[in-house]
Amino acid sequence: MALRPRISQGRFLCTQISNHNHRHSNHRRRWPIKQVTKSNFSEALAQIKTHINDSDFIAVSLQKTGSYSSPWHRVLPVDTPETAYFKAKYAAGRFQVLQFAVCPFSVRDSKVIAHPYNFHLFPRDELKIGMPSYSFSCQSSYLTSMAREGFDFNACIYDGISYLSRSQESALKDRIGNLVPSKCVEQSSSGLSVADAIFVGRIKARIKHWTTAIKDTGPKNEDVLIKSLRKLILGSEQHGSRPCLGIDVCSERQVQLVVEMLRDFSDDLVPLLIPAKGGGTQAVRVVLTSSKEDRESFVRELQNLEEEQNKRVRGFREVIDLISASQKPVVSHNSLNDFSFIYSNFISSLPSSMDEFRSSLHLVFPHILDVSYLMKEIGPLKKVTNLLNEIGPLKKVTNLPAAISVLKTRFFAPIDMDISHQADGHEGKIHGHKVLRISELFAKLCSILKISTGTLKDDDSHLPSVLEGYVNTFTPHATNSEDPVDEDVSVWTDNPRKVNYKDLVFLWGFRGGMSAKMLNKFLRDSHHEVFSEDFDVRLLDRSCAVVVFWKSGSSETFLEAMDSGGNSCESLREMISEGLRAADYQIYSKACRLGLWEADLADSLENAMADSDSNSEARSTDPLEICWNGDLMIYLDDL
Amino acid sequence: MKNLWIVRALSKTLTLTSSSSSSFTRSLCSSTTPTPTFAIKNVTKSNFESTLSDLRRIVRDADFVSVDLEMTGVTSAPWRESFEFDRFDIRYLKVKDSAEKFAVVQFGVCPFRWNSSKQSFIAYPHNFYIFPRKEIPVDGRSYEFLCQTTSIDFLAKYQFDFNLCIQEGISYLSRGQEDDAMRTLHIVYDDELLELRRNSREARDAPVVRIADFLFTERMKNRISEWRDGLLLNRNGGFETQESSNDTTQHLQTIFFKMRPALLLNGFTSHQLRLIQLVTEKHYEDLVFVREKAETSSGDQLIVYTDSKNDRDLLMKEVRDGLHKEAEMKIKAAVGFRHVIDLLSSEQKLIVGHNCFLDIAHIYSKFFGPLPSTAEEYVSSVNKHFPYIIDTKILLNANDIHLPMMKKSGTSLSKAFALLCPEIASSVQGLGSGPKPRVKVEVQVDDMRSSNWNSGAKHEAGYDAFMTGCIFAQACSHLGFDFKLHSPSTNLANDEKLQKHINLLYLSWINGDIIDLRTGNRTAESLYSNNLKNRYPKTVFQNIALIWGFLPKIKAREIRECITKAFGLNSVSSVYHLDETAVFVQFSKAELVSDFLQLKQTLERNNDPISVLHPLSKLLEGGNTRAATYEFYKRMCSSPISEVLFADQAEAMGINWKTEPLESDREVETLENEMAAFPNASDRSELGKINGMINDLACGHFQDDEAIDSSYTREAQLSK
Repeated sequence: MALRPRISQGRFLCTQISNHNHRHSNHRRRWPIKQVTKSNFSEALAQIKTHINDSDFIAVSLQKTGSYSSPWHRVLPVDTPETAYFKAKYAAGRFQVLQFAVCPFSVRDSKVIAHPYNFHLFPRDELKIGMPSYSFSCQSSYLTSMAREGFDFNACIYDGISYLSRSQESALKDRIGNLVPSKCVEQSSSGLSVADAIFVGRIKARIKHWTTAIKDTGPKNEDVLIKSLRKLILGSEQHGSRPCLGIDVCSERQVQLVVEMLRDFSDDLVPLLIPAKGGGTQAVRVVLTSSKEDRESFVRELQNLEEEQNKRVRGFREVIDLISASQKPVVSHNSLNDFSFIYSNFISSLPSSMDEFRSSLHLVFPHILDVSYLMKEIGPLKKVTNLLNEIGPLKKVTNLPAAISVLKTRFFAPIDMDISHQADGHEGKIHGHKVLRISELFAKLCSILKISTGTLKDDDSHLPSVLEGYVNTFTPHATNSEDPVDEDVSVWTDNPRKVNYKDLVFLWGFRGGMSAKMLNKFLRDSHHEVFSEDFDVRLLDRSCAVVVFWKSGSSETFLEAMDSGGNSCESLREMISEGLRAADYQIYSKACRLGLWEADLADSLENAMADSDSNSEARSTDPLEICWNGDLMIYLDDL
Repeated sequence: MKNLWIVRALSKTLTLTSSSSSSFTRSLCSSTTPTPTFAIKNVTKSNFESTLSDLRRIVRDADFVSVDLEMTGVTSAPWRESFEFDRFDIRYLKVKDSAEKFAVVQFGVCPFRWNSSKQSFIAYPHNFYIFPRKEIPVDGRSYEFLCQTTSIDFLAKYQFDFNLCIQEGISYLSRGQEDDAMRTLHIVYDDELLELRRNSREARDAPVVRIADFLFTERMKNRISEWRDGLLLNRNGGFETQESSNDTTQHLQTIFFKMRPALLLNGFTSHQLRLIQLVTEKHYEDLVFVREKAETSSGDQLIVYTDSKNDRDLLMKEVRDGLHKEAEMKIKAAVGFRHVIDLLSSEQKLIVGHNCFLDIAHIYSKFFGPLPSTAEEYVSSVNKHFPYIIDTKILLNANDIHLPMMKKSGTSLSKAFALLCPEIASSVQGLGSGPKPRVKVEVQVDDMRSSNWNSGAKHEAGYDAFMTGCIFAQACSHLGFDFKLHSPSTNLANDEKLQKHINLLYLSWINGDIIDLRTGNRTAESLYSNNLKNRYPKTVFQNIALIWGFLPKIKAREIRECITKAFGLNSVSSVYHLDETAVFVQFSKAELVSDFLQLKQTLERNNDPISVLHPLSKLLEGGNTRAATYEFYKRMCSSPISEVLFADQAEAMGINWKTEPLESDREVETLENEMAAFPNASDRSELGKINGMINDLACGHFQDDEAIDSSYTREAQLSK
């Protein structure tokens, strides 16, 4: 097993990942997926490069160490895209991606030609610089369910591929500098000062002396001892097989002077910058090459070295860069979560607003397709075909296998999977299969939605115009299918009612252990005028509930009553004195924006209310928000 | 894990190959050539129960028990690492943060018992793999823990088996969690009593909508009637088995449930079962629908015949009690590894650890309850659970143990082990020049599960615990303690030679701060030991200001220059980088801190040309430079948030001032003015003595760039 070569050396008790651990795997087709770790990364990188070039789409899927730590941290039906983004951002900052499956694929007629790869990642600090990540969180339920599916943590941690994000790489470059002086050392704009001239003159003389001494290996049969003594005095060293001379510098100005002087002085000399520990340059190493050809080969060597170093620094990010450079549409499931992880791990830290995120992400991945969004699109289509009963279930099936099986029973869309890899002894490993299911589902959906996928080659934009409509929609309501807590095939009865978020009121501070039903009755019994109208209550977590008023304006009335201590209503006053609190949607979205991720939503809302300082700031941004999501869809039955 | 990876790694103590099953008890300190093998008992979920019962006996007979932990990390952010600039309360907050965030993945327990016939100690090294799996739903929250990337990588370097830990690790509940789970269970139990009556009423009203459901219901009604009638018939005319419901295949089967005839329902879907339940409750007063198992959906569903209403109630109660008991058993089982901790605590044995303040904090937060907010409260609470704790690091640095070699080579675990138990170590290292070990130690592992053997390895908690125990035994002997004269009935912890050292722990190894678990008093190490490592003058915390958010190009030297230009050459005694975004500046006088903060505030307020030309303006460049007193660092450390960079952390905590408001200082000032008779009252109370010391010291002692070479930090990490 190429995956775990080191284990056998020391441990005798190492667990074998046995095949019968896989609960689900028996009835599944065993698609061969190339498993990639540190040891075969270079080779896989070359392969995937051609596969990305040859394919029309790229499916991605991530296996993380967790998703949300408290019930309300996951995306709830009351979330707007903005609050959903804050939740995704919070998760992306804490959890770690352990597996990244990439599958370049094309659809030809009813055939998917797929090249699945599954990369094992570990944020190892290869360069001892505290990057890519100082620490990360794990949810034990996630790890346990991964273990149940036979995930090999040892392989991942011992042999996972590390990486740096783009911003981390540039920060690193700033800190340690480039090994090779950039080709475009600026022309010195100012003239030489006296001190500069003296410095240049001194260095020039030293180099001249040194080069003549080195080249002067004429007929004199010098003693070996004298030869080496001379070298010692001249300060000559060896750089590989070539002689070199170290010149200490104390400023970047001097570096520039030395490099310029060398360029004018001789063609045989190549300067190398030796970085200082704290950043900047410590010395310039002058390497003497023997001829023009030798110089060229040396420069090429240096370039290779730099590339090698870059490869080591970027690690897995090379794959992300390849995908990004190809500009091909990327297909994912639950795109908001996955792409906030991708952005924060491989591009840069996540921006502070959804709009900013959307636009910066667009620069890296211009076309992102979400299969869960496409699934929803089937709804209206089916209405036409007069199968009303089936719409409901379909609309909210967010679990991949369930989605496929639902499609299978409802539609005739046979898709053949054609996998390029040969089974290579990894039959037991089912990791990364999700990415293939995404490709399969995508192909099925395209065929159902009558989207032609075959003509991509000639299209300049890489994307059929039909698909354009589905691009870059981040659906906040895609519940997480990896969620080990509820794996059930969730079929909702269909009863969506539109609710404006203004009609929502968050309630907390009621007696612990109350169910939504009890709370509903409790409120109704308060006999406050607003509760004589139609309203609905759902618990968001154990500490907090949301009340939906079906009559507009009721929420304001209620909040006013709460603010005034319930003076118009005795029982409401009683409840307030017992600790009942209420807040509008602004407070909720503020809690998300400020990152007040307490374990209980009640605490977060309380803190958000207490935080008066940023209130003014919040107000100024609010109108925008209101325009942007004029009405918020809430599928009440999800609550 | 214990911070000391590098050093411990360097001194290789034992080469470990797989143990042959021939001899389970092996003299490690005998003069004959020792065999370089080591036996250890690895414990996971599968053999936990049996090991626990053996361990109870072993611990009861033991003279002392040594422990060691492996964690998923030590510090959640670089600025939370151990610094020389840590006041004792901050040190505790850092330990608290670490214990709360990281998980323990391996727990080494090694009881030692003196065997007078063999004149040696017998050690029983146990290596428990533990994992915080959520076995029962305590509350809605998921179990979560932090991993420090370098720590995980370090564990990997020593071939830690993560798969085994995650799949087979023993889970646990703290006492608090167990109580919570029990309480919820009782509430649910009470609610169920209520719900059951109401539900059945409501269920009766629920209409059957679909045609298919209706047909199925009718059919089931017939079957149940048939069965019930048959039952009644049999009852009157003697009892004989009559397979009246044979035609419905194996779906229905007559059995006895709690001495009553019952119909076992097999192979129905949950929806069908719901319909059957509906029918039963609607149409038959004397039939009860019962679920035998609590949570598993595969649990048997039965329709039970009851004689009377009384009998019916009795049955319901029996069933509920059964379910309740089952749930209770489940909670008991979920307590898991905590049983071992409870055992150590209840047996009141002497616990031996090596630099174990963090270890004890982990044990407390994982198995007892949330860590208190102050060190004093924590310490007294720990003392209740573990009345006798001894730290070998303290012992080795104590005045009255004369170990000249030790001072030179350091008191890290593996070095101390190599030095004090050279026979064990020398077989590999040839380090035989140390003092002769005076106490023999043998290792015993039961031979029942020889297949479970693993060769001992450094940084395996069980082996580290073993080494710690060996060091303790040797150190005792150096103290003049003779185990041969020691009667097994007396508690080792009560011996007067040990009294001086017991219950003392290093709160901070770099500062030499020692805390007494009995009293909560802190002692400076110099009073206790002959260790002269206090090369650096003591820190005065009132003299320290925190500055962060300055431009990244500004380094310690520039900051010093800026401030000395404004406040005089001797105003700054040291500048210390916390991380790349923040520095501690120690002024020569406490007043300078408030002067500095005030000046900064003034400069920021008036944005006139004079302020721009002010020497401090370089520091304030970028407009994001913030400053605060040392107290602010405490606030940072007590925050549950852990951003990697100090500046980001302050932002995440919602800090929106640029200079910490000085109101509190002013209050103190007026207070001091009022009490003019006691100048510097606050100083005297706590740090007066040290203050006096510091004032005598010339400021030149300090080096600017201490932070850059970060030797302190490294030393802190090496301290264990």
